[in-house]
Amino acid sequence: MNKGAKLSAAAKREQNWAYIMVAPTIIGLIVLNLWPFVQTLYTSFCEHLGFGHYKFVGLQNYIDVFQRPEFWRATWNTIYFCILTVPLGLFLSLLVAMLLNAKIKGKGAFRTIFFLPMVCAPAAVTMVWRWIFNGEYGILNQAMGTHVGWITDPNVVMIACAVVAIWSNIGYDAVLLLAGLQNISKSYYEAASIDGANKVTQFFHITLPMVSPTLFVVMIMRLMASVKVYDLIYMMVEDTNPAVTSVQSLMYLFYRESFVAGSRGSGSAIVIWTVLLIGAVTIIQFVGQKKWVNYDV
Amino acid sequence: MKRIPRAAAIALALTLLLSLCGCGAADGKTHLTFQIWDVYQRDSMVAICDAYTAKNPDVVIDVQVTSWNEYWTKLEAAAESNTMPDIFWMHTNQILYYTEFGMLADVTNLYDDVDPSFYQEHFSEISIGNAQGFDGKMYGVPKDKDNIVLCYNKEMFDAAGVSYPDENWTWDDMVSASEKIHAATGKYGFMAYNDDQMGYWNFVYQAGGCILTEDKTRGGFDQEGTRKAMDFYIGMQKTDWCPDQTYFAETTPQTTFFSEGGAMFLEGNWNLWNDVTSFPDMQGKWDVARLPKCPDPVQGDGRATISNGLCYSTAAHGKNREAALDVIKFFGTEEAQTIASSYGAAISAYDGTEQAYFDAFAKEGYDLDLEVLKEQFEYGVQSVNNSARPKWKAPVLDELNKVYNGQQSFEAGMDNIQEIINTETAKKLANE
Repeated sequence: MNKGAKLSAAAKREQNWAYIMVAPTIIGLIVLNLWPFVQTLYTSFCEHLGFGHYKFVGLQNYIDVFQRPEFWRATWNTIYFCILTVPLGLFLSLLVAMLLNAKIKGKGAFRTIFFLPMVCAPAAVTMVWRWIFNGEYGILNQAMGTHVGWITDPNVVMIACAVVAIWSNIGYDAVLLLAGLQNISKSYYEAASIDGANKVTQFFHITLPMVSPTLFVVMIMRLMASVKVYDLIYMMVEDTNPAVTSVQSLMYLFYRESFVAGSRGSGSAIVIWTVLLIGAVTIIQFVGQKKWVNYDV
Repeated sequence: MKRIPRAAAIALALTLLLSLCGCGAADGKTHLTFQIWDVYQRDSMVAICDAYTAKNPDVVIDVQVTSWNEYWTKLEAAAESNTMPDIFWMHTNQILYYTEFGMLADVTNLYDDVDPSFYQEHFSEISIGNAQGFDGKMYGVPKDKDNIVLCYNKEMFDAAGVSYPDENWTWDDMVSASEKIHAATGKYGFMAYNDDQMGYWNFVYQAGGCILTEDKTRGGFDQEGTRKAMDFYIGMQKTDWCPDQTYFAETTPQTTFFSEGGAMFLEGNWNLWNDVTSFPDMQGKWDVARLPKCPDPVQGDGRATISNGLCYSTAAHGKNREAALDVIKFFGTEEAQTIASSYGAAISAYDGTEQAYFDAFAKEGYDLDLEVLKEQFEYGVQSVNNSARPKWKAPVLDELNKVYNGQQSFEAGMDNIQEIINTETAKKLANE
């Protein structure tokens, strides 16, 4: 009895210390993430009159926003951006990861090169890409002998943005996948080659299942980031660009609404809508993962 | 043994905290921050601050530069939490919005001890108007005044055998010059890009139209003069000699002009110093002229240029309000405004201090016909604004984009713009 009581006092003290230790993070999360979210939710039901003065208007912001064609256009643009960037980006990242995992000379140099875009400031990256894509003087049109307005033609501007997005993210995703690949024991491949399985069979039956948990995490992260895409498009396409409505993402619309037009209420409504969108997409993924993600081993 | 590291940790934490507090005013001086958005005017602003601190050694002023877009996001957030910079530039785009919510200190009576009619005596009506709040009181000390000029490439005019723009130049002359230059050199003529202050606003007022009615409660896009000018201005992009909006999305008229790809564009005089210093190879090849006038205006004599101006403001409830007021009081004097002018970046608003601006160019050997700036002030039109402008600015731009790329007909686009301005303005007025 005596011993037990003593232990529980020690355990209690330990517990208290545990709370104290996690407190900075928890407080940080509440102050920096949870509280702003609650405020955003509240703001989405208000009209912003200026300088922190709000008037409660109920669902009016949502009604207004849902009636605007550019809102639905922005929603579609965001989904379209995800469709363009996520599958292809993941495929290329996996390809790069596998190449970097192979026995080749100068592996370290290649890994650095692929990771480099991640270290560059997005503003600088888009600046360079804008020069490459420039319709009049850009190197891309010069090299191909074409005359395409890569970032001014409403039909191709999204593809141009997707290319830049994929290019800048491959390195990071590949490093994560590479870590997953390196966890796969060599013995599986040895056993498979003894059984006469070729490289393609090995990929589909060993590599893919074994790396699927990492692939799943990367996919979730990439998809969330793609739904929230803002800086890239903002930097690539200015608001005097006639193609802006064809590429304006939800976050871009949110920015223009909240900070250019000063309507924080409808801006917040757009954000809440985006949160719901991300939630829905993530739920679908978690349900879908049961079919293809392999946690055994 | 256990106690010692804990005590040490506490001591360390305390030292850190104390050192944070120490950031305040350890030297016993008053520290003021001064926020601006134009990096090219940093030197002139530091110079007037130095002139002030030379007389008031107990004050230290820190000039901070933020980019134009971030400036307004930051300033608004700072205003909400009452942590605005002590002194800052205020722009006509925003002054009505800020004063309506009582964010700026009233400086109407700032010079009463010197001269009760200080502003009226030393500043133009437009300069005073640009510093007035929604209630007509002064919420800033006028800083500078500007207008829009026509930049033209002399070599291209020579090559096409066209005489340089003079005071009788009209829109028609500009069009025919553009045609001839394009035919003779293959370069662009006048580059009419989608911009308000440095674009269509000027043409609208030349044609006798308006963007907002006199009382600022309605748009002017239903008026004959406005439509005439908009039709002309937007229509220029359909010609061979003017690039279209997709071109301008990637290459600004300024870039095209200074890489000798086009013959004419509209420039604000606040950019001229940057132009002459950034493009030394173009020296002598270009000049500035008055804006061409409308040949057949609906009303008026066909002349107009948008004239804007900034002012120095301080927060209504700032911590260092009195100290800041004393500084901006100095900024409005002849002495400070002459110093600011002499850096060539902006024409000071104080009457009689303009010459220093022109001398700055002459001193460095930049030979531009800057006299036109002075003459244009005579028919300058105050930069367009009402308190709902932040709300209608972006939607109007979107609508214009649609007209430019053909998604919307001209008439319907103008109707929609009128509707947008009227609706947003009415909404804003209803909330007041």
